Amino acid sequence: GADVVRNKHHIEAKGIGDPQVFAGKADPAKFKVGDPVVVRDLPAMFYTRTPEYVRGATGVIAECAYESPAPEDETWNIEDAKPEWFYIVRFKQTELWGESYTGPANDTLQTEIPERWLAPA
Amino acid sequence: MSAHGHDHDHARTVKPMVDEITEFEVLEIALRELCIEKGLFTAAQHRHFTEFAEHIGTTPAARLVAKSWLDPKFKALALSDPIAACKEVGVDWLEPTGFGTPSDFVAFKILEDTPTVHHVIVCALCSCYPRPILGNSPEWYRTPNYRRRIVRWPRQVLSEFGLELPEGVEVRVEDSNQKHRFMVMPVRPEGTEGWTEDQLVEILTRDSLIGVALPKAGVTTNVITKARPANNPIAAAGAPS
Repeated sequence: GADVVRNKHHIEAKGIGDPQVFAGKADPAKFKVGDPVVVRDLPAMFYTRTPEYVRGATGVIAECAYESPAPEDETWNIEDAKPEWFYIVRFKQTELWGESYTGPANDTLQTEIPERWLAPA
Repeated sequence: MSAHGHDHDHARTVKPMVDEITEFEVLEIALRELCIEKGLFTAAQHRHFTEFAEHIGTTPAARLVAKSWLDPKFKALALSDPIAACKEVGVDWLEPTGFGTPSDFVAFKILEDTPTVHHVIVCALCSCYPRPILGNSPEWYRTPNYRRRIVRWPRQVLSEFGLELPEGVEVRVEDSNQKHRFMVMPVRPEGTEGWTEDQLVEILTRDSLIGVALPKAGVTTNVITKARPANNPIAAAGAPS
């Protein structure tokens, strides 16, 4: 098996973990906890992990999560993909589903989004 | 002559062997043997991973929450450095490879319920689940039905699980769509005053750590769902339910 072509991920992350292995490799975080953000509607041909239901919606940063290459790059094993900050973003359910949300106005949903998908609201 | 009009004895018909092996099993064997033959992984590594998958379960997660209920200092650790807190209940997220499992990562977060906030987790994109500490995900958690509906109609779905929450409680759905894995730390229920850690562990069911149930004194099992039997079930404990 030594001649099998592999990426270096398992070597670099050993004893460290993923996403810890990418710590310190992203540019400084653009957003901080509490910032209002809007989810951009980027092209998502072939692969994305930003759900359709949050595109164009406004939420607030609940947590600066970690640094990692975006899944849109990582899934194709792009070795020199630059890590970026990921954020847990909190949305009001009424912002996501509008009038059709049947629960109370204070219900929320959180999901994790890489920086490229976010713009200041 | 039989009732349906031809002349042979069904009881004596030998079923062809091939019916007993599904296409999935044929392909699983083909894929595994080819991978081993080409050196992508070894048979020992395959066994190592299978053993890892068979030993994980809900208990460490339940113990972590029980400890947090009993010890404010441990609870503070669980919320601020959950990976370190997991080690205290015997779970090292770097296992079994040294860099974590390839699909669960090493980014774990515990969502603390309060009297006014209730969390429930889902992976709308697939079935991401904090397996190293909570074991294998339930079948319903992986269904398109749960994944489609819980994000949009959480209260209706929770009520199907028998959980009705008042309007004053904020329901917060956590969609685990990237590398973080989540688990709920429910509020300690009434009627558990003076209980030991072991007693508290018993009522911290898998469902209560996903957020589709609340722990309750006297309730030590998950919601009863219609279990679909497997063709060739894994006999050992820790098999996916």
